[in-house]
Amino acid sequence: MTDEKGSVSLSGAGAVAGGSYSKVSISGAGRVNGDLVAEELTMSGAGKVNGRCEVVRLRVSGTGRFDGTVIADEMKVSGVARVEGDANAKELKCSGTFRTSGSISSEYIKVSGSLAVGNDVEAEIFRASGGFDIGGLLSADRIEVHLGGRCRAREIGGARIDIRHHGPDRSSLLENILRALRTTLGGEAEVGTIEGDEIYLESTRADIVRGKTIQIGPGCKIGLIEYSESLSVHEDAEVKEQRKV
Amino acid sequence: MGDDQYISKKDVLEAMGISYGQLYRWKRKGLIPEGWFIRRSTFTGQETFFPKEKILARIQRIKDMKDEHALDDLAEVITERVNVKLHVAFDKLRELGWFDEQLIETCCEHAAGEHTLSMRDAFCLASLKRMSRAARPEEVDLLNRTLREALDAKRLDLTALEGKHLFLMRKQLSGVGISAEISVAVIGMEDLMLDPETVRVDSMDLAAMLQQVKLDLAKQGVEEPAGAEEGKEDE
Repeated sequence: MTDEKGSVSLSGAGAVAGGSYSKVSISGAGRVNGDLVAEELTMSGAGKVNGRCEVVRLRVSGTGRFDGTVIADEMKVSGVARVEGDANAKELKCSGTFRTSGSISSEYIKVSGSLAVGNDVEAEIFRASGGFDIGGLLSADRIEVHLGGRCRAREIGGARIDIRHHGPDRSSLLENILRALRTTLGGEAEVGTIEGDEIYLESTRADIVRGKTIQIGPGCKIGLIEYSESLSVHEDAEVKEQRKV
Repeated sequence: MGDDQYISKKDVLEAMGISYGQLYRWKRKGLIPEGWFIRRSTFTGQETFFPKEKILARIQRIKDMKDEHALDDLAEVITERVNVKLHVAFDKLRELGWFDEQLIETCCEHAAGEHTLSMRDAFCLASLKRMSRAARPEEVDLLNRTLREALDAKRLDLTALEGKHLFLMRKQLSGVGISAEISVAVIGMEDLMLDPETVRVDSMDLAAMLQQVKLDLAKQGVEEPAGAEEGKEDE
């Protein structure tokens, strides 16, 4: 980026033409008409980009709508973001709501709010403590899900897959109550197929689970398990069929 | 899908001794094309199948590239994206089997003075070199014009070659006191059907050829020039 690029701040209702900027900040109701390239885009009001959006840092704390592909190094959504296309962010943190009709590819994804994706999600590390709904494949080297809401995906695949109610076992009374509450409030995962090398699952419904070492924890309902090394099934889990391959 | 053209994911892992983690990682890197994942319902539920020959060869190739850096390079090369603006210095190409200076005269007249080739030129050159095994000089020229025209008119897209072949055919015509042979160059799908009098002299898988060219270039350590863009065809 050169120094010549200007910055723009929309605080009332306004629109700005697409192009190359240093910083773009939308705090009122603002629109960017056309493709946007910028170092920073902040949306704290109601913002919309009518075009492709390529930025280094993207923050949405209000509502942000994107008409095309979004590319960012760092993307933080604490408000509501909606993308009509694919999102490509090296780091994606979502504590608000993030919806896209396309796919997400990233290196590190952290979801503590809610994430809805039409197609696939790809990352090196995927951590979720909120809820998600993924229409296609969720694929990452490490997938760690702490069930905080409804978690759905058509398929999950990766090296290590860990879906559980909360972090390492520190069961205090309060946590036990919270756990019971979460379960009744729908803190469970629903997946078609899960494939990985090391798999640990709790409160998960899946048609098929395939892997090397598989541990099925409490509250799971699994149709078929195929494992190559080891399998353990908790007494509060339901497995229709299991076979060593 | 019981036929041996396809192989299930499970069997791929077992045959190649790899893990789910590796397979998904390579898929994310784009080393295994999306289109190769064929989801089918079986009696046990959803299963993923692959074109057997292709997936086994690809995984072997990936396994041969031990270190991660080489793997990233390979990913660059294999992905469907084609860097059309890539220009390659001639001297890097001399070691490649398909480099032929005489053919360059035929197929890339504009590049002659510059001693560099674009990806597209390299692709045409390699294709013609391959076809010249069976084709006569005037047929090479015909094939060249066919390829060029298809590319220029954007009827043929380097990013979407899957299944397309380049054919060279000949047909004998003989009548009373006259006999002639005509050569025909065709770009079409593999299962093209012909009349019985037409002889298929040679054919070539264009997608496989492009990949070969890209791999060859990668092996020669051809690097992208800084700022080069990938994707859209524009020269």
